[in-house]
Amino acid sequence: MTTLACSSTNLSVAYRAEPVLRNVDFQVPVGSVMGIVGPNGAGKSTLMKALLGLVKPLTGQARFFDQPLAKVRQRVGYMPQSTSVDWDFPTTVADVVTMGTYGALGWLRRPGKRERRLAFTALEQTGMADFATRQIGELSGGQRQRVFLARTLVQNPDLYFLDEPFQGIDAKSQQAMVEVLHTLRQAGKTVVIVHHDLATLVDYCDHVTLLNRRIVASGQVAETFTRSAIATTYEVSEDQAAFLEFAS
Amino acid sequence: MSLLEFFANHTYRMVFFGTMTIGLVSGALGSFAYLRKQSLVSDVVSHAALPGTLLAFLVAVTVFGVDGRNTVGLIIGAVIVGTIAVLFANGVANTTKIRIDSAMAVSLTLFFGAGMILMRVIANGEYPGKGGIQDYLFGNASVITTADLYTSVVTGGLAIVVMLVFWKEFALRTFDPGHASVLGFNGRTIDVLMFTTIVIAIVIGVKSVGLVLMVAFVVTPPAAARQWTTTLGSMVTLAGIFGAVGSGVGAYLSIAWGNVPTGPLIVLTLFALFVLSLLLSPRRSIVMTSLTRLRARKQLQHQLETTP
Repeated sequence: MTTLACSSTNLSVAYRAEPVLRNVDFQVPVGSVMGIVGPNGAGKSTLMKALLGLVKPLTGQARFFDQPLAKVRQRVGYMPQSTSVDWDFPTTVADVVTMGTYGALGWLRRPGKRERRLAFTALEQTGMADFATRQIGELSGGQRQRVFLARTLVQNPDLYFLDEPFQGIDAKSQQAMVEVLHTLRQAGKTVVIVHHDLATLVDYCDHVTLLNRRIVASGQVAETFTRSAIATTYEVSEDQAAFLEFAS
Repeated sequence: MSLLEFFANHTYRMVFFGTMTIGLVSGALGSFAYLRKQSLVSDVVSHAALPGTLLAFLVAVTVFGVDGRNTVGLIIGAVIVGTIAVLFANGVANTTKIRIDSAMAVSLTLFFGAGMILMRVIANGEYPGKGGIQDYLFGNASVITTADLYTSVVTGGLAIVVMLVFWKEFALRTFDPGHASVLGFNGRTIDVLMFTTIVIAIVIGVKSVGLVLMVAFVVTPPAAARQWTTTLGSMVTLAGIFGAVGSGVGAYLSIAWGNVPTGPLIVLTLFALFVLSLLLSPRRSIVMTSLTRLRARKQLQHQLETTP
């Protein structure tokens, strides 16, 4: 029986000889919204990249729906940090979102009317339909995030990896992002979010993984997101109350 | 010189259409190097094309005993060694703490030095058909033969076809390499295809333009085209047009004025296109955007004064 959307065993990553992740056993139950939190440099983004094969792990491997990634690529979507690309690239919002359909198209097949329609629907979902013909360079930070979210949605995966989707966004974009998250949760999709705001974590996520180069704790928010676990993850003492008031 | 006189002359026609082909192909494919911020790759390739070409010449003459001037053979040699030079630069950058710009400079000078030694070896030896090999240094458009032109059109056309066939993959990989990998497209396969086409675009121009100036054909038209365009398709098309028109005009002027080298004049023409683009493009030029802003402010001021 498959109950895990994603799992890694003994996953370690090192940049040169410097270990960034140590022996990570990461498990995401199907249908959960999993938040990954931890201090800067804890390896949150690296964990995502290692799972998706963008960074070569030193040890260990990842499986998705009990299969290697190559077999289930279409069911796995990834939204990188928006700063990972050059937004001065000569292209339109609609074209970027259409790129999300390329995986299903495979080599050589061109996007057609159907792919354009899918892209437009995804833009409507993120409230960006009015911007379809805009140059991507003209967008604000929050709009860029929504375009990247639409590019992930258009693929219609079962498992979403979102790297800092709330990073530097305006209220309107945040609301659009939250609405999409609710829709995905109701549709029974699985979502993994790298998140930096401890205060809002419980609003979005039902599961949490506390990460600082290794997994400090992982599981349901109610049991896992405790004062002592947060204190250990962020390497602060438990009496620094202001920092820990968000614990469940 | 009238246009009629110009086109009646076989040599002039060869120069005109030969350089236009080079400008078109290198402008279009150079766009991808430009957008991947790897424009200097073209400088590495053009410098490494020298030893590549000369090695191919030596192999043809000494091993196979055939005419060393066969254009296809020379292009193959240049493509192989040019690719090795790029791989070497990337390899140094990836495995050491040396940055890619330094690694490219090391690779470029290493292969260029080897080329200069080979050139001396050939000049001192008894090789049939060795005349004209020094053209690769500074280029000589007046020696473009009909066979040269056909070879450039066919190989350049092939590179353009590869670009069109893999358009979607090229665009995806250029915009967001990580996303391309997650979607299941092998990055290395796309890179090999893309850089081979770019290498071909450079190599077919080296003999006419010279390895020193070839980089301008790859960098300038895309940089100018970027100022006017908003999509990848329009940028690549316009860069191709700029390359072709700049080369055609430069070639015509160099002949009309007499005794002016063609390659350098084309570079100057391309530069003129580049400056005009920087100054006049409606969305990106400093001049035009500040004019637009000034007009908008005036209008706003007028509006606020008349309707209190």
